[in-house]
This record gives sequence, C-alpha cells and structure tokens, in this order.
Amino acid sequence: LAESRSRRAVVTGLGVITSLGAGVPAFREALRRAECGIRPVTLFDTHGFPSRMAGEVKGLDLLAPFEAREARRLSRCDLLGLWAAKEALDDARLDRKRMPGDRIGVVMGGGAGGMLSWEKFRRAIWSREERPRPSRLLPFACCTLTDLVAGHYGIEGLRATISTACSSSATSIGYGADLVRSGDLDAVIAGGSEALSELTFAGFSSLKVVDPEYCRPFDKNRRGLSLGEGAAVLVLEEYGRARERGAEIYGEVLGHAVNSDAYHITSPDPDAMGMSRVMARAMENAGISMDRVEYINAHGTGTKTNDQAETKAIKRVFGKAAAGLQVSSTKSMVGHCLGAAGAVEAVATIIAIHHQFVPPTIHLDHPDPECDLDYVPNTPRQRKIRIALSNSFAFGGNNTSIVFGSGEGLERDER
Amino acid sequence: MGIAITGIGLVTPMGIGREAFWDACRSARSGLGRVAAFDVRPFRSNVAGLVEGFDPAKYMPAKTYRRMSRVSRMAVCASIEALGHSGLNLGDMERQRIAVVLGTGYGSSSHVEDFYVSLLRDGPRGAEPFFFPETVPNAAASHISMVHGLTGPNTTFCQNQISAENAILYAAGLLTRGQVDVALVGGADELSEIEYRCYDALGALNRVRVDGETAAVPHPGGGLVLGEGAGVLVMERLDHAVGRNARIYGLLRSAVITGGPARLGHYEADGKGLGRAVRRALEAAEVGPPEVRGIDVSSNYSGEIEEIESRVIREIFGPRGGGIEVSPLKYLLGDFGGAGAVRAAALALSLSTRRPLPRIDLEALRQGPHLWRTDPVAVGDISIMISATFGGGSAALVLSRMMT
Repeated sequence: LAESRSRRAVVTGLGVITSLGAGVPAFREALRRAECGIRPVTLFDTHGFPSRMAGEVKGLDLLAPFEAREARRLSRCDLLGLWAAKEALDDARLDRKRMPGDRIGVVMGGGAGGMLSWEKFRRAIWSREERPRPSRLLPFACCTLTDLVAGHYGIEGLRATISTACSSSATSIGYGADLVRSGDLDAVIAGGSEALSELTFAGFSSLKVVDPEYCRPFDKNRRGLSLGEGAAVLVLEEYGRARERGAEIYGEVLGHAVNSDAYHITSPDPDAMGMSRVMARAMENAGISMDRVEYINAHGTGTKTNDQAETKAIKRVFGKAAAGLQVSSTKSMVGHCLGAAGAVEAVATIIAIHHQFVPPTIHLDHPDPECDLDYVPNTPRQRKIRIALSNSFAFGGNNTSIVFGSGEGLERDER
Repeated sequence: MGIAITGIGLVTPMGIGREAFWDACRSARSGLGRVAAFDVRPFRSNVAGLVEGFDPAKYMPAKTYRRMSRVSRMAVCASIEALGHSGLNLGDMERQRIAVVLGTGYGSSSHVEDFYVSLLRDGPRGAEPFFFPETVPNAAASHISMVHGLTGPNTTFCQNQISAENAILYAAGLLTRGQVDVALVGGADELSEIEYRCYDALGALNRVRVDGETAAVPHPGGGLVLGEGAGVLVMERLDHAVGRNARIYGLLRSAVITGGPARLGHYEADGKGLGRAVRRALEAAEVGPPEVRGIDVSSNYSGEIEEIESRVIREIFGPRGGGIEVSPLKYLLGDFGGAGAVRAAALALSLSTRRPLPRIDLEALRQGPHLWRTDPVAVGDISIMISATFGGGSAALVLSRMMT
C-alpha cells in the first residue's frame, strides 16, 4: 500500500472519436459549443423502430489508414478504437527506448464488439441473397481491439478486455490505473470502443427505454436514452516517468471503485445503494474527502429510473454539499456509447479539468422536481475544476466510479 | 502472492459437480462426444464437449433460473457448489467485501442469436425483449451477485481463451491490495448452435465425425474442438482463510499475462510472449523449473498451440530424466473462453489429493498418438498452468500445495 501511495497514474495521452467528430480538439470544441451529435441513423435500416436516432460517427473515412485486405477484416468497433488509440499514442509519445513493451499493458472495455459484422454474416444466411462471408466473424469478440492495439504498437505486457456492458471502459481505466499504481506496469493503454449495431439498437428499443427524439437527461420530460458510438483511449503512465521525460500531464486517476447492486439484471436499484457506495468507495480509494469534489460527470442516461436514482445517490453521499456540485451528462450530446461510454466520459472529464470548463447537460429545459441538482443546463461554464468524479452504471447492476484530479500533485488528503 | 483456493464448483462435459469431474479427470475419461443438442448435419464436424444431463433445479428453485441463459445457469450452479464447498457462512460476512469475477469467451451466444433472429423474423416491433438482457457477457456474473447478494466488485473479462486467466489475475489483485477478503472467480461459456456454425464457417473445427457410441478421437493438429462449462473457485487472502480454519486446496503463487503479435484469428506464432509469461510466473513464485511437477497446458487440437507450447516447455523445463509429461485437459473438455477456471480447479484438486492429472508425453503433443497415463506418481508441491489464446495473449499461473 505504501507503494501505491507513492506511485501515481497520470494521463499523458488522449484520443477520442464520437458523433461530435474525430480528435480531442473537435470533441472539446463541440462540448464548449453544447453541440448535439444525435441524429438519424444511416448505418442500417431503422424503419419501424420507435426511435431512428443515435449518436453515429459520420463523415469520416475510417478505412483510409488501412490496406484493403486488412480493412475487410476489421470491424467498425476496431476501426473506431484504432483511431482513438492512434491519437492517444501519438499524443503521449511514450519513450519506448526506456519503456520496453512488456512494461506496458492494454486494458480495454468492450460491449458488442464486432456485432455489426456478425449481423451481416447472419443476415446473409437468413436471407439467402448473398454468400455469407466468414471473414466477417473474425473480429466478433470485443477483445479483438485489445489484441490489435497490442500487436500494432508492440505492446507485450498484460492484455485484458472488460465487458460489463455500460461500465466496461470505466472499469478498464480504473484497473489500468491500479496496475500502474501497484507497480505491475509502467504504462497502460486504457479505454474502450463501441459501434452501433442492429442488436443493441433493437435491444434497447425492445426494452422501451429509448427516447424517440434525443435523450434529455434529468429533464422532466425525458423518455429514455439515445444510443451512441465511438471510442476513447487514455495513456496512463507512472507519474515519475512522465515527469522525467517532460510529458504533458492532462490529469490523474486518483482512484476508483467497482461494485454490484445485486438487485436486477436491467434495472438500477431505486434506493441507489450500490450507486451511493461506489462513489463513496471511489473517493476513499483516492484518498479524497467529498468536500473537494467539484464536478461529477454523471452516468445520466436520460431514463426515468437512472437519473432519479443517480440524483438520490449523489444527495445521499454528498449531503448538503450536493447542492454546490456541478453535475452534467455528456451523454446528452453523444448518446450512450455503452462499452465506450466510460472512456468517452473520462476524456470529457479530463478536458473539463485540463481546460477549466464544465460541459453542460443539453436538452435540459424542464427541470424535474425529483432531479434537483445543478446539472449545468445547456450552457458550459468556465470554472476551475481540480477534482471530478465520473460515474458509470451498467446492466446487471455493475457500478464504477472514477476520481480524476488535475495531476498537479496537491490533491490527495494527508491522512 | 498468498492467495488460497478454498472452494471449487464445476459444471463440465467431464462431469457435473466437483466429484464427478475429478473422477473423470483421474481416469482421463473424455467429455467429448457426438453433439445431440443441435443439428450438426450441415457441418464438417459433429463432435464437441457438451454438458449433458445438467439440471439447475438441483441447485435452486425454478423461479430463480427461469430467465437465465444456459451460461448463466451453469455459472450460478458452479458458484453455489463452490460457496458450499468453501464452508463460508455468508450470513456472517460483509457482502461488500466479496468480489465476483468471471471470464467468458462470448457469454450467451444463443441469446444473441435468438434475439437477432427474432428481429429478422418479426421486425423492429417483434424483437423479443426476453432475450436481450442476457446478450451482455456480464449477465452470468451479475446473476451470481444477485443469487448470493454479493455487493462487492463485479467484473467480467472477455479475452478469448485466456478470459478466466484474466479473471483470476484481476481477483488476485483485489485480494492482494486488500480491496476484498474473498472472491468468487471463474469462467463460463455455453456452446450454442450459432457458435458451432461460426467456427465451422471459419474452417476452425477439427473434422472429426463419430457415429453413436464410438469415442470421439479428434485428429492431432486438425483443428480445435469446442466445449462449454463453468468453473468457480473461492479465493481468499491466505490470512483470511487461515483465520477461519478453512480447508485450503491450493495456493495461487503467481499469475502473469503477456502477449505477442498474432494474425487475426491465430495464435502467437513464435511463442515468445508465452515463454515470457512462464518465466515471469516462475520468478514471481520464486520457484525453479525443476521444482514444477504438474504442467497443465492449453493445447486444443488446433495444432498452433501445440507447436508453441511444445517449444516453450522444452526450452524452460527440459531436458529432464524420463521425459516431460503434460496435461492437455482441453483434449477431454473441449475449448472455451472460461476453461482456464476448470483447469485451475483440476490443478488444485490434484495438489490437494496428491493425485496427478492425466498426462501425455510432451513429444506426442503435436503429432499424437495421445496416450493418456493416469497411474499415480508423486505430484510434488508445485504445478503450473499455461495458456495461449488466438489474438496473441498468453498466461501462466503457478499453484502450490498448502504446506501443513
């Protein structure tokens, strides 16, 4: 434990691609402009669905960097993930001469992985109109991206892929930071990727939790979530090494916690015990007292139950201090990116800390009396944020909360 | 690393329950056979390791498992057996201090298939919501948390054939860092028709066909044989296990995961990452190769793993007087993402009973014939489990007997 207190996991590289555009600068400016990336889906036919909207990545030639033969074998999820990984690794410029491949790990979070490719194979069998192409099956597993990133960048340490639905990539970042703090590794490429698929689109529709237009987290008239897609990758590096090589430090993973509601396979516990505990435990793990948290990037899906339960949990944990917190859902802009959501929101949270502004919750026009915190409605705020939480709550009652700091070295409470 | 294995639960093609499995293990009785659960006529193979005669009603009320997929049912039943075996009294325990960590290749592939087919058949408004929640790979671990009321960390890993190994390494970290006192750790997969169909389409299956009762003997190096099943281990920090006077079946001394470059859908070609995993696991456990007796390998008839495992083991453990013997349990179980948990359980049972796992000559791994030896020999105190996966990952776990 002494070691974990002396070793710190800082963020020295960021990559992100969402419906708001490709790259950290595009994402940052879109957050500042309070843009919405949720629009009609073009990837597949959405006739007949109650909603035809999602945060789809558009207007980019994702295949451009790859040779035709390789490109055919990559799923959309892999293409998005490789894009974000390249941005993050180019950004971090790790000193590979002094950091051999086996001191670096890749820990990704995934959801449906290559489902969209599998669906093309399955549909071909079903319709008998075209020959099913087995190569579409190769990238099915969500760990394909992890292997591709490790293979492409000569990373020879741990490779792991966490698949806990909507909390996958939040947990991957927390685990990655633990591996750096414990001394098991010197750097971890952590994050996640998710592509829209018919399966998830139809799935959430069938559960009747999708807003027919766009999601409006914490709004009285919210009718459900909007799906999204994208990828985000963080380079987590041991602080001493990052400082020694003069790397730019965007922030720090101060700690995290993971727990389980043990309540229901799709619904959050309305008492929000699991959500409350996971935030409290994350702060405990980070060694941060709750009065020092200034911003929470909420799970904030826009479903009736989540937003109400999350609000309840924040109030239970922070008590009177809850009223002074700024809480926002960036899902209001990019939709719910499922396996990539935690990573996309981690990048949003680090941008908030590094660039000193709070991203807003958009489409929030009618306050809900049950959701009575400061959700930063519709307009971003210029504000110095030193410490922030990012929440991810998943199907199955899997909760993860991460504590991010500015990396300036002043955050931890002395105990 | 002082981590004790204090409970084992198994649902496997070689037997349901710890005792039935161990009985089959000791006599190298194969769980591979002709597939009866779905129509295999269209495929080039008709063999797999399927769990037959599995009845969740023997473990829990129908109401509890009614909505669960097959993989969730197997995983939950294994967890019930493992907890019972461990003698832990959950009533006395802080439930937040117990983790659930599973590894799975694909979770419930049958629910993915059934949901997507309902969409193809009945359109957007006919898609069957019943199937959707269990399409996420973490469903099995979530059911375990719900059935036992466990509110600690709950995580699921998908890393092809080293999924359970990843779960074991993660749980070991939670225990070592003191974040939990106990972890239910395991692996689980179901073999569905769609998974079989996809592997067949990729040309990955061993083209072995059997009729009726003949034993299924796949061709060495001819392609993998799929399997299914669940294994759950109760793992505790050693002080916690000793403190409650638990029976300890084995100690996890080290766990290392590495990787190397591999073509999509293939294993690491040169085995360097695998070699590194084995060496580092031995170093971390502070044992030399001569001290290791049991070598549990992940060879799966693909031919590719056989190649790299033969090379790495010869490099690190050879030469030895009398040759090297290895235990390729997937030859009896079939291959699945969570199989590592069943293999780790087998090693713990071997160490605790001082009976060896069934084994074959390393020299016969690649070409066959695979002649099993089951005669009792000294098993020693230290065993290693080695795993390789397509995608390029490798894992090595060192286990030892609890010295009393």
